[in-house]
Amino acid sequence: MHTQTNARKIAWAFFATSMLLLVLQIVYGFIMGFAHMGHDVLHDVIPFNVARATHTNLLVVWLLSGFMGSAYYIIPEEAERDIWNAKLGWIQLGSLVLVGVVAIIGFHLQWWEGRKFLEIPRPLDYLVVVNVLAFLLNIGMTLFKGNRFTTTSVTLLVGLTAAALLYLPGMIWFDNHTVDSYFRWWVVHLWVEGVWELIMGAILAYLLIKLTGVDREVIEKWLYIIVGITFLSGILGTGHHYYWIGAPKYWLMVGGIFSALEPLAFLAMALYAVAMARKGERRHPNRIALRWAVGTGIMSFVGAGFLGFAHTLPSVNKWTHGTLVTAMHGHLAFWGAYAMLIFAMIAYVLPEITGRKLYTKWRAEWSFWTSNIGMISMTGAFAVAGVAQVYLERRMGMDFLEAQEAVEVHFLALVLAACLFTTGIVLFIIDFIKYGLPQPAENVPVTSPGGDAGPGTGGAASA
Amino acid sequence: MLSKSQAKVFFLVATLGFSGVFLALTFDTMRQIPEQTNSAEISESALRGRHIWDRKNCMGCHTILGEGAYYAPELTRAVERRGEEWLRIFLRDPEAMYPGRRRMIQYNFTEDEITDVIAFLEWIGNIDANGFPFDPDMAPTAAIAAAGAEAPEVLQAAPTYYRNVCQSCHAVEGFGGNTGPALDGVATRFNEAELHQWLADPQAVRPGTTMPNLNLAEDVRTELVTWLLTLD
Ligand code: HEC
Ligand code: HEC
Ligand code: HEM
Ligand code: HEM
Ligand SMILES: [Fe+2]
Repeated sequence: MHTQTNARKIAWAFFATSMLLLVLQIVYGFIMGFAHMGHDVLHDVIPFNVARATHTNLLVVWLLSGFMGSAYYIIPEEAERDIWNAKLGWIQLGSLVLVGVVAIIGFHLQWWEGRKFLEIPRPLDYLVVVNVLAFLLNIGMTLFKGNRFTTTSVTLLVGLTAAALLYLPGMIWFDNHTVDSYFRWWVVHLWVEGVWELIMGAILAYLLIKLTGVDREVIEKWLYIIVGITFLSGILGTGHHYYWIGAPKYWLMVGGIFSALEPLAFLAMALYAVAMARKGERRHPNRIALRWAVGTGIMSFVGAGFLGFAHTLPSVNKWTHGTLVTAMHGHLAFWGAYAMLIFAMIAYVLPEITGRKLYTKWRAEWSFWTSNIGMISMTGAFAVAGVAQVYLERRMGMDFLEAQEAVEVHFLALVLAACLFTTGIVLFIIDFIKYGLPQPAENVPVTSPGGDAGPGTGGAASA
Repeated sequence: MLSKSQAKVFFLVATLGFSGVFLALTFDTMRQIPEQTNSAEISESALRGRHIWDRKNCMGCHTILGEGAYYAPELTRAVERRGEEWLRIFLRDPEAMYPGRRRMIQYNFTEDEITDVIAFLEWIGNIDANGFPFDPDMAPTAAIAAAGAEAPEVLQAAPTYYRNVCQSCHAVEGFGGNTGPALDGVATRFNEAELHQWLADPQAVRPGTTMPNLNLAEDVRTELVTWLLTLD
């Protein structure tokens, strides 16, 4: 069978879930922005630690939901068959939403673990594991029962599987706080600076194949090289989180050297996206999707590569460790590398599965620019606040709260920039809604012939 | 230029090779951590403190060893900085010590829980964290003094309770906190009875005041008042 009707519907539902959770995440971002400005008005209902756990966990869940949606779309499409078990797909989505909702409500009732980014309590961790297993089974079976194995789809599957495995060390309780922290980074760091990059590389490769028409062999070769650099640098780069937690001193050198190489992978990703977009002779009419795809390459370099490098050497990190400088980097890195990637995927997929072409309208253009300019400005506000904090508190010895009061004004700037950013997100979501529901594959003119090797196979849409 | 299959080999070798090195280093780190973190000194109480730290998600506002959130003070050296007596009073009622400032949650800890939290923080403070948190390297001399170096002579005679608790809010000869007014010359503003009354129950004297009621024992209060009367 050559239609992916079920897979498309499921992918759409995952993307819709993503967008919903993103909106909620932003709401909690504003709560924290105001708290930092000195207006912690919700303290009695939503204290800062609740807002924070909700903000970051929603981020992780909406990105995961976006990755899953992407996999539900890409893997059947590459394998040239529909999803293996559609019912399982819907159940998996339902249970993901259930875990998410219970976790968020739980946070508000202080049901959590106090471990940054992994606050979800243990019983829900088990549910997450079952959920992810169901997901991997479904896309794995689709791939194996399909007609075609491609580097892109195998890389995607390997990345998702490795992400699931790496979640496990984060579930173990250690009596020693340092050991706990050590293995917490196996999840957090080895995700974002390891296997998620693999996922990113695969999704980006898929989009570039579809949108530029460059030869699959060329793109997939670069995919290998980029993820090779990622692991070459990123695995030992974990050491940049082991400088000051009570681990041996050699991590200063190992972490310093290897994490300093990590930006190369992001630089390669950026150059690759730009080069392929220029090289591609076939112009797919969906220019906005290509812009998001190239954008994610470039912004991931700026946010993760450049701003990560800015504080990764021990001689800098000794002062910036655990300050707002880290938050500056965290925002642009997550936005550039993973949020924009999912936006690229959605911008590509929606026209394909609904048959509408809203990418020619002004909203698509404006949502790209306002969200990006907004996020860059937010990063600037965090940067000014963070550098001021480092100098006042860490280097000159000013009391913590006094230093925080001195940087309050930069949180006004943050909130204003966040309004601009949010405008872009709202425009994107309006388009998402206007696209409407996915149509049965038979009713949508075939725009992606399945992309066998060779130039020109990228969406022939209305070209 | 590399072919696709060469690129694949590069990917596999880099990934497997560096995973191997990482696992070896992890093995060595696990061998060294017990000594570097004094794990033999994790008492029952400190462990209970760690569970409280975890259950309340204190890391959602604070950093410890530089990890966590950026909303509230770094606590790695909290015990060294504040001392146990101060922390006890603070944890009973965080707002009393920081009136009108950024807010922490009032957890209504029992005295035992407070002991546990402090034991945990004390253990953390003794970890060899390769120097973190670093002493300020650009500190003006005044700030260095406030961080605990040389205190003026009058303060050498001050009761321990003053040094441990009152000083975080009050300064004498410019040395100490600024949440409350400087105490230089208090003896000229208040007599002995007034000071006793004030320290016993600030609210009764000035309703709405942000000076906390510290529930001082009779003898501590007498000692404090005797010393305050020398500040003229
Ligand atoms: C949490 C901060 C805080 C602590 C701790 C604290 N005070 Fe105060 N104190 C204040 C504030 C604020 C005022 C001013 C109250 C007002 O004017 O309403 C004050 C006022 C005073 C005054 C009156 C000063 C004046 O000139 O009006 C004295 C005396 C005093 N405190 C002594 C002490 C002593 C002794 C201790 C330790 C046992 C202590 N304080 C602990 C905050 C504190
Ligand atoms: C909602 C955010 C929040 C949470 C949660 C929180 N704190 Fe705090 N904490 C603060 C703030 C803000 C301060 C700064 C003093 C103030 O304004 O009360 C503080 C100050 C402290 C201090 C004094 C530090 C100093 O040097 O002055 C200690 C100790 C402390 N907190 C311990 C804890 C512990 C232990 C927990 C968990 C049981 C915790 N905090 C949870 C916000 C929080
Ligand atoms: C897309 C990739 C990346 C994402 C999403 C990301 C995100 C984050 C986040 C959220 C944190 C805060 C973690 C915490 O304290 O709990 C962090 C910390 C850090 N990141 Fe990244 N990062 C990425 C890539 C990089 C790269 C490539 C580098 C180095 C070149 C880097 C260097 C650092 C450093 C040094 C810290 C520790 C900051 C501190 O000491 O407080 N990051 N990153
Ligand atoms: C649009 C409005 C947003 C606002 C106002 C906002 C604000 C904040 C604030 C104040 C913090 C807490 C810093 C602290 O601990 O004190 C935070 C944390 C964080 N936010 Fe946002 N945020 C927003 C959107 C986003 C988006 C879109 C992303 C991801 C793409 C994101 C990713 C993160 C991450 C990763 C952290 C943890 C950072 C760290 O620990 O270093 N935020 N945010
Ligand atoms: Fe990292």
